[in-house]
Amino acid sequence: MNWNDYRRAVDAIPFSADFQERTEELVCQTAQIAEIEKECIAMKKKGLIKAAAVAAAVALFTVSAYAASHWLSPAQVADMYGYPALAQAFESEDAVRLNQSVQTENFCVTLAGLVSGENLSGWTDQADQARTYAVMILESLDGTPLDTDDFSIVDYTFTPLVAGFTPWSVNNWTLDAGVSLLEQDGVLYYLLDTQNVEMFADHTVYLAFYQGTVPSQETFTMAEDGTISFVEEIEGPHALFTLPLGKSQADPAAVEQFILNSGFDREWFTTVSPDAGAAYTTRENEDENGSKHIEILPQPGEDTDFEETN
Amino acid sequence: MAPVGTEETICRLVREYSDMLLRLASTRLPSVSDAEDAVQEVFLRLLAAPVSFRDAGHEKAWLIRTTLHRASDIRRQAERRNLPLEEAAQTAAPEPGTDLLQAVQALPEKYGAVIHLHYYEGYSIREIGKLLGLPSATVGTRLARGRERLREMLKEEIK
Repeated sequence: MNWNDYRRAVDAIPFSADFQERTEELVCQTAQIAEIEKECIAMKKKGLIKAAAVAAAVALFTVSAYAASHWLSPAQVADMYGYPALAQAFESEDAVRLNQSVQTENFCVTLAGLVSGENLSGWTDQADQARTYAVMILESLDGTPLDTDDFSIVDYTFTPLVAGFTPWSVNNWTLDAGVSLLEQDGVLYYLLDTQNVEMFADHTVYLAFYQGTVPSQETFTMAEDGTISFVEEIEGPHALFTLPLGKSQADPAAVEQFILNSGFDREWFTTVSPDAGAAYTTRENEDENGSKHIEILPQPGEDTDFEETN
Repeated sequence: MAPVGTEETICRLVREYSDMLLRLASTRLPSVSDAEDAVQEVFLRLLAAPVSFRDAGHEKAWLIRTTLHRASDIRRQAERRNLPLEEAAQTAAPEPGTDLLQAVQALPEKYGAVIHLHYYEGYSIREIGKLLGLPSATVGTRLARGRERLREMLKEEIK
């Protein structure tokens, strides 16, 4: 195989010479149309937002019912990201509508909905991989509009955890997960797209929200029975939801495969030792703007029948 | 890094990444217009639902993954309608390596993407792992298996 010929063949693909110019024009036109539509919607909603703020101050226990009237539904969140198949899935009978709310500091954290399926969003290229999707809502209790910059996905984490598995072994970083964040009317919506967590359904499966990045012993403790909870000293808004999964959804073989594919020792998944965390390394990348990206690096596994080629 | 949702930022991404994304989309979509549509839709998606990128690496990874996903969607839709995707490629002027390009386009996405990113864009296995969110070992395996499949496909063609 001559890869120079391959490169020449790719270079010869007759893309439109004006593609960039046309695309930039299209972006500008679409942005203008969206701006006009947004202004119209904002004018229509003005009265509604005022009424909603008053209702929130009256009684907290009505949060769920009140929420239904002004929050975006999980399907609407998926739609806003341009995932119609996911939106449809959130509306289907298979979706779990939770609307479980937790007050933490001056905030209300709500797990809105959950659904599993294949190929419903754009995060992963693995079209045949079963995924779990969840929408979490964050808003202030006093009606102060929240901003994505203050609760960015760099500083806050929304991740699955599984009882009986150390928090640093089963989480967004090992489950090929992605979190997207959007703001609408001062309310923040987190969309989680993770490898299917139903395979762990014979354990308690959690969704955790907290300030910080990779789960560690500074944030979580795991009791002898495998139960996971936040450490007492934790700071910042945080919430831990338990997912209503049926044990029949569990797939121990898939969990076994997940452990094998990870490249980590089995003990790392199940044992909390005083030096837990030392068995893996994290790599912190920082760009010229000071933005950080942290990765958990697994040990090389057995799946290495490749040669480095250049 | 600021959320990407403004015209200015998206236009910067268009200038910076559209060539690479068009080539990548072409590994799934032999039709030039299909590849261009897929890439345009990716940029417009940023306008509809701004994404907060952690850093430049996350930005590039998101664009690559979303392009591959969108291109695969278009390909699947075309296959469902029984549209002959290959015909578009045959209309292009024959170049040395066209048979290899067509073979890459015929590979499953998981192999075609890593082959292209490695042999055209020059990314290392580790870099591809970061871009696609895969362990390096998995990328290496896909690269090896992709090459093996290409050898088989090209051998069959010569016979």
